[in-house]
Amino acid sequence: MHTIDPAMESMLEAFVFETESMLEQLDDILLQSERAKSLTLENINDIFRITHTIKGSAAMMSYDGISELAHALEDVFYVLREEPGKLALIYDTLFDLVLSTSDFFKVELEKLQESSEYVEGNPSHLIQRLHEQAKLLSNESPTSFEPEKADSIKSDNTVFQPQSNSYEILIHFEDDCQMEHMRAFMLMTQLQNFCEILNTIPSNPEEDASLAEQINKNGFQLQVVPNDTIDDVLKCIEDSLNIKSYEVFEIELPDLSTIETTTLETHEEVLHSSEHNMDEKVVTSISGAKQSLISVNKTKLDHLMDLVGELVTAESMVIRNPDLKGLKLDNFTKSIRELRKLTDELQDIVMSIRMVPLQSTFKKMDRIVRDMSKKLDKKVELVIEGGDTEIDKTISDAIADPFMHMIRNAVDHGMELPEERIALGKSEIGTISLSARNIGGEIHIEIADDGAGLDAQALLEKARNNGILTKPESEYTDKEAFQLIMLPGFSTNEEVTEYSGRGVGMDVVRKNIEQVGGNITIHSERNVGTTFSVKIPLTLAIVSGMNLSVGNTVFTIPITSITQSFKVADQKQVITNVDGSEMIMLRGECYPIIRLHNVFQIDTNTTEATDGIFIQVESMNSRACIFADELLGEYQVVVKPFPTFFNKYNLKEQGLSGCSILGDGTISLILDTNGLLNLI
Amino acid sequence: MNNEAVVTQDLNLDLNDRFLLFNIEDLLYGVSLALVLEIIQIQHITHLPGVAPYIEGIINLRGKVIPVLNVRSKLHLPRRDYDEKTCIVVVDMQDMQIGLIVDSVSEVITVDRENLTSPPEGGDQSMQYLSSVTEINGKAVLNIDFKRFFQEDIEQFANF
Repeated sequence: MHTIDPAMESMLEAFVFETESMLEQLDDILLQSERAKSLTLENINDIFRITHTIKGSAAMMSYDGISELAHALEDVFYVLREEPGKLALIYDTLFDLVLSTSDFFKVELEKLQESSEYVEGNPSHLIQRLHEQAKLLSNESPTSFEPEKADSIKSDNTVFQPQSNSYEILIHFEDDCQMEHMRAFMLMTQLQNFCEILNTIPSNPEEDASLAEQINKNGFQLQVVPNDTIDDVLKCIEDSLNIKSYEVFEIELPDLSTIETTTLETHEEVLHSSEHNMDEKVVTSISGAKQSLISVNKTKLDHLMDLVGELVTAESMVIRNPDLKGLKLDNFTKSIRELRKLTDELQDIVMSIRMVPLQSTFKKMDRIVRDMSKKLDKKVELVIEGGDTEIDKTISDAIADPFMHMIRNAVDHGMELPEERIALGKSEIGTISLSARNIGGEIHIEIADDGAGLDAQALLEKARNNGILTKPESEYTDKEAFQLIMLPGFSTNEEVTEYSGRGVGMDVVRKNIEQVGGNITIHSERNVGTTFSVKIPLTLAIVSGMNLSVGNTVFTIPITSITQSFKVADQKQVITNVDGSEMIMLRGECYPIIRLHNVFQIDTNTTEATDGIFIQVESMNSRACIFADELLGEYQVVVKPFPTFFNKYNLKEQGLSGCSILGDGTISLILDTNGLLNLI
Repeated sequence: MNNEAVVTQDLNLDLNDRFLLFNIEDLLYGVSLALVLEIIQIQHITHLPGVAPYIEGIINLRGKVIPVLNVRSKLHLPRRDYDEKTCIVVVDMQDMQIGLIVDSVSEVITVDRENLTSPPEGGDQSMQYLSSVTEINGKAVLNIDFKRFFQEDIEQFANF
């Protein structure tokens, strides 16, 4: 069990972040290679490098399970790297094994993030299997297999022979980065890719923790002969973490090859004398290169977002201050315009910081499709489009699960078996396409498969058996029948498979998507395929909305759900039903009227249809007209959730999604069109 | 440094023994000063649909949206119109800020623990929220136990 010391927290974060991105890369390489049906030497090298780094950093954090497993994996790829010809021996089992290893790492990383008391999982079964593979490859007993010794530090104890293009590099780590010896070791392993010869002082830094202090004091010395140019080596050093400064010296004298120690001593002197002059310059140049990407804690971003929201509100409090009414303030107005420009810019920047590309969410789907199609003996290809579309991190996190579920459904229920597909005259390999587009403040994501499509009749039958039909069966259009699968308590698959039918149905998918303000529609054609279209807002925090007043309450309707607004000239346009509900005819179509003052029990003098204003809204294919006193105009509002005190009242179902503080300090209630339309 | 720590501790002890008194009808209620964040004038309250009748709605407290409860309705007393003496006492419960509408606030008193007596057994509904009773200047002060007061509203208190 590990308890994490707060001082280690930032290191842990860095470890998780680094390892996560490397695992993503690993999965990517594997999936692509598997699809291409070949593992190139370059890929093998990449995988080797990844496993090696994971091993090193896990050892540094003393997560033995991860480190040992990475080691075992590295063993396998070590042999492959040396003798790629042997790949055929284990090709069949390799991908599954490496992917499940990668899964193990992911689970561990998740555990690490979740609790401060981390209990390592036991990877022994995986290690066992990896050792078997390594044994198969090398015909050696797996336990005695120690590749990295022979590999990485191959040339360490040989006397360094300066060549025409040899360099000496002195590296200083940051003062408080800790475990300099492991960092030095990791740097070494990274540099090996670029160096023909690599000697270091101390030579085996990872073997003795006491060397950390020495490295800290004297720096970490490297003597290198680069493969290509020294630039590659330096770039690698620059990209490494926690390096404070480095200095490079070209070794010019060919007769320096006398005795190693003397060479070093003289060099040390040179280094120290020049250090003072060089230090500052070097540090700045490195920090310039390294600062291009930083990782930031999400809560800090949330806080920043909140503050910007407050700022926007405070700004309009100043601008629309009632004390200023009627005053002619030319200079003030000018300054205000300047301020507004800046806050707008600030808001944009903060929003853009929170944006992440959908690519990583989409990439996860790749893996699911691969695993499932293999298990289910189906041939499915996933085509990803628009992965670079950016979306708010919170939303991106929220939609990962629903999408995973939809993809699973598509493979499990949607796709036919290859023979069925051939019988239907379709291509043997099914295609699932996942595409994202940014359309005016919204992201449209489509999941389309060319599988069997939905059977409206079967859906209706199922719905009837489950008693969730709300009108006679014959009145359902196909489109309405498709929507049924998103109702709670509906699942078309009789059998519960490993991948679907675990009690999470499309209703949960819909709920999750709606929670982030999105909606989902289904289009399907028998034997042609099914398409799920998901529309989600770019961001949750600030919406542009139309403000309306009812009595002395202000409501905000998100602009995206408004179709039009209009006034009624003649009372006769409003049709009143026997039960008191009202409707209005618009261009030959009839829409129900929602009177906000009735729904929310607000006292108002505007009750005549001709006095107020109608706003036509649309959500989830249903439409209605909202009746309010008057329109106040379009505003950018900062969405605030209701206080947690109201958690037990489901205000979303009452038609309210949140509230917002307006420029004059009053609170507006943000209407949830979907919830509101469900009320009628 | 040490001195400071001692002082804050004293202050906390102090706050627990001190009560803010407010009036509802002609009765005097007390709430532990440690829970009180501030007292503000009655202001525009935005009503919410479908909530318990004693929840008046939400207000904007310097950029923070907080719920406001009417103590009179919560105690099953008839409502009355707000006047210039009507106040909102903002209390902190489990890091939630909640506003309580009271007829008026009167004063802050310090009560020795031995002068606190348990509330009468049984009693009507307004008595069930009390933690203790004390007497000041010949008038009874009813101290509200907020865990009971909010047990219908805040889940953590439900099984109290």
